[in-house]
Amino acid sequence: MAELKKTPESASFKVQAPAFPTMIVAMLVLAILAAPLFSRSSFILYLATQAGIYMIVALGLNFITGYAGQISVGHGALVAIGAYALAIAETSGGLSFWSGAVIAMAAASGIGALMALPALRLSNWYFALITLFFAQVVSDLLGEMTWLTGGFTGIAGIPAPSLFGHALGDSEMYALIVGTVVIAGALLRNLIHSRLGRAMVAARDNPLAAAASGISLVRVKMIAFVISAMLAGLAGALFAAQKTVISTDDFGVDFSIFFLLIIVVGGEGRLLGPIVGTLIFFLVPELLGALETWRVLVYGVALLALMLFAPHGVVGAIEDRWRRRPRVGRPSQGVSLVRADGASLEVGGLKKGFGGVIALDSVNLDIPAGSVHGLVGPNGSGKTTLLNMISGFYPIDAGSVRLGHVDLAGRWAHQVARLGVGRTFQTPKLLGQMSVLDNVLLGGYPGERANLIDVALRLPRGRREAARLRDIAMHLLDFVGLADRAGDRAGALPHGQQRLAEIARTLLSRPRLLLLDEPAAGLSMRELDTLGALIRAISALGTTILIVEHHLELIADVCQSVTVLNRGRILFVGTPAEAFAHPEVVEVYLGRASGARV
Amino acid sequence: MTIFSTIGDIVSSGVPIGCLYALVAVSFNILYRPTKVFNFAQGDMVMVGAMTAATLLGFKWAPWPIAVLLAMLLVGALCLVEEQIAVRPVLERAGNTWVITTLAVALIIDNVVGKIWGADPLIVPAPFALSTEPISVLGLQISPYQLALIVLTFVLVGAAEALYSTRTGKAIKAIAEHRDAALLRGIDPVFVNRCSFFVGGCFAALTGYLASPLIYASTAMASGLLLKGFAAAAVGGVGSSRGALAAGLVIGIAEATGAELLSGGYQQAVVLAVALALLLARPAGLFGQAQTRIV
Repeated sequence: MAELKKTPESASFKVQAPAFPTMIVAMLVLAILAAPLFSRSSFILYLATQAGIYMIVALGLNFITGYAGQISVGHGALVAIGAYALAIAETSGGLSFWSGAVIAMAAASGIGALMALPALRLSNWYFALITLFFAQVVSDLLGEMTWLTGGFTGIAGIPAPSLFGHALGDSEMYALIVGTVVIAGALLRNLIHSRLGRAMVAARDNPLAAAASGISLVRVKMIAFVISAMLAGLAGALFAAQKTVISTDDFGVDFSIFFLLIIVVGGEGRLLGPIVGTLIFFLVPELLGALETWRVLVYGVALLALMLFAPHGVVGAIEDRWRRRPRVGRPSQGVSLVRADGASLEVGGLKKGFGGVIALDSVNLDIPAGSVHGLVGPNGSGKTTLLNMISGFYPIDAGSVRLGHVDLAGRWAHQVARLGVGRTFQTPKLLGQMSVLDNVLLGGYPGERANLIDVALRLPRGRREAARLRDIAMHLLDFVGLADRAGDRAGALPHGQQRLAEIARTLLSRPRLLLLDEPAAGLSMRELDTLGALIRAISALGTTILIVEHHLELIADVCQSVTVLNRGRILFVGTPAEAFAHPEVVEVYLGRASGARV
Repeated sequence: MTIFSTIGDIVSSGVPIGCLYALVAVSFNILYRPTKVFNFAQGDMVMVGAMTAATLLGFKWAPWPIAVLLAMLLVGALCLVEEQIAVRPVLERAGNTWVITTLAVALIIDNVVGKIWGADPLIVPAPFALSTEPISVLGLQISPYQLALIVLTFVLVGAAEALYSTRTGKAIKAIAEHRDAALLRGIDPVFVNRCSFFVGGCFAALTGYLASPLIYASTAMASGLLLKGFAAAAVGGVGSSRGALAAGLVIGIAEATGAELLSGGYQQAVVLAVALALLLARPAGLFGQAQTRIV
């Protein structure tokens, strides 16, 4: 690691991100949640209990909609499924509340997953419509399957939860629900700050970057949805236990819209959004009661106005005002970058057509492990298409792609990434709202071993792994020269630095092959020099590199060999010096009357 | 005999209603092609078209073509307003904000229209005094109006297909692929979006009018047509008119089968199950193309 600068401080590295005085907010929330326990009015306690149940639903909905970007218009139906599952388990099955609640969670997430699976493979808006459809169907079926649900009369006599033979009273029920809110909030917070949370935001904001980082979009969205549906099912069970009688009237179609509005008011994709949103709804009772006949209209106008003027809700508006740049330490010295196991790339007879236009025709590449290869050619010659096919973003019409001994043809982009192919894009694909450090950490996704329980409960295994990964990520940022910008929003970086951050992201997975798509485009002269040194340093770590580039000086500087493409066919293969002296290559680059200078 | 008559009943009720779903899906597609926005208020646009046409026909001061034309213009204008307020300001934002804004427009229209017209369905006579009483055609019990609707649907879908294969149609598709490149070639995306919203609104109103003699004009028709029109569009392949027709018929027949074999309350459940199964098998839809250009 001779190229690496030694860092002066040895202080252990830590990210502090108190964008908001967390402790104060937490105490405030706890105080508000505890207040109804001291109220004499049973009506206030009843309302507060209801609010607590709604918070559980809203926390889950914010997880899938705010963080994973899948707008659910059917969470009310999942609550209904949970409520009926509990009611049936308790009244017909004679089970306890606790077993019934587990069944409610399983029913809501199981039925929900069946509905969500086809939708999650498609664009986000399919999910919104399918959940809306689902809500309608669940509402139909609750009325139709009277033998199970009791139809309009519903199910009565649902017993309150009991603990050691003691049935919970009203304030104990409230305490149970507040406890659930706090625990659910803490678990979700841990998940959001983990690899899963980063992957969810990547799936929401930049699916291409997610796939290139080895993230299976369907899997991540499904995990987020199942967690969200389990919370809805649990809330349904608590809902039924609190009301003791449930019927179809409790679960109208606007029930689902109501939860969507809660999180939009509070702030989509903000941790406290669902809590604040629910509180606003219960503290402004007019919205719930007096305007009864205009309620849906009010919902509609509020949704529209908020999306237009305050897309991050109340919490977003406050947080953005308070946001400070998080302080980020220096990397500790114990870690050094580990060598990558470079692999050879063999492309044989590759073909690609776009509806009659042949983009690539019988293209071969043979890049030995550990070497740096350039891919040049005029615009439209098929360079980026070739990269997209190697990295699994385009399906292959004919031909083979082999990484070492592994056949890459026919694999999805995230699978190719997991096999060790890192790539960058012509325009850097970073998550603009996340910090530079978090963007780099996204690249560590395939290598992380901590499971959901490890991260949700912050078990030592998960914490150790996260700390180690942060340390390597800081080293990588240091390696590309961005260590002092680690805490900044990635979207705020200038173009050249975004490119470097993207390269650092790919390096965190220690790629066996790195594909760089026009890394020099738009860089200043100084940044160009840095880039050249960086590519040589990456190569020294063992990674095989394939660069698509128009900047021929850079190619001549770093590449051992080049392939020249023209109109989808290979024109020339050889050393950079040979290539740029070759008359045909000069001709395609400069035209026939080659009076121009390179 | 009974099994044949059951199949006959399913076909004669499923195909005409399936044609309506296909028309709703085509109206979705008209908006979707240039904007990649799937309008959640489209069911309400169809409903407003139906209610307006029904009300104008009820006054009896204009012949039906005029009443239908006025309803189409009104809904086209309504769509333009929606585009202006709820779509254009958020079109460039990440995260499909338009899902929530167009859903909000649907809630608003639903509520306002409910206040204006109330919940009672309006009866709308079929055009050209066509009968809605079933007659026996090739052993099927089907009304002259239903037959006319089936023929008209095929004509309209054919016209949409023909339009989108012209130069103008391709330009509209080009905008969806690459807005900036389209702009450089002298296609104004904002103008094309507006036109598409207007035409999509007109088409929705026409669909609403055509639906009324079969299912009555009522405020309740919005959500059903939104969801089943979506199912037809998605299963057919979003953007494809012939896909919308094929899938509309599949959805209509599935719904009629559900009603015939189970009961009315299971209709929507059967449609959702069929749509989900088909989307699981073919995510891009029957006639859809997997997106090719990504990076």
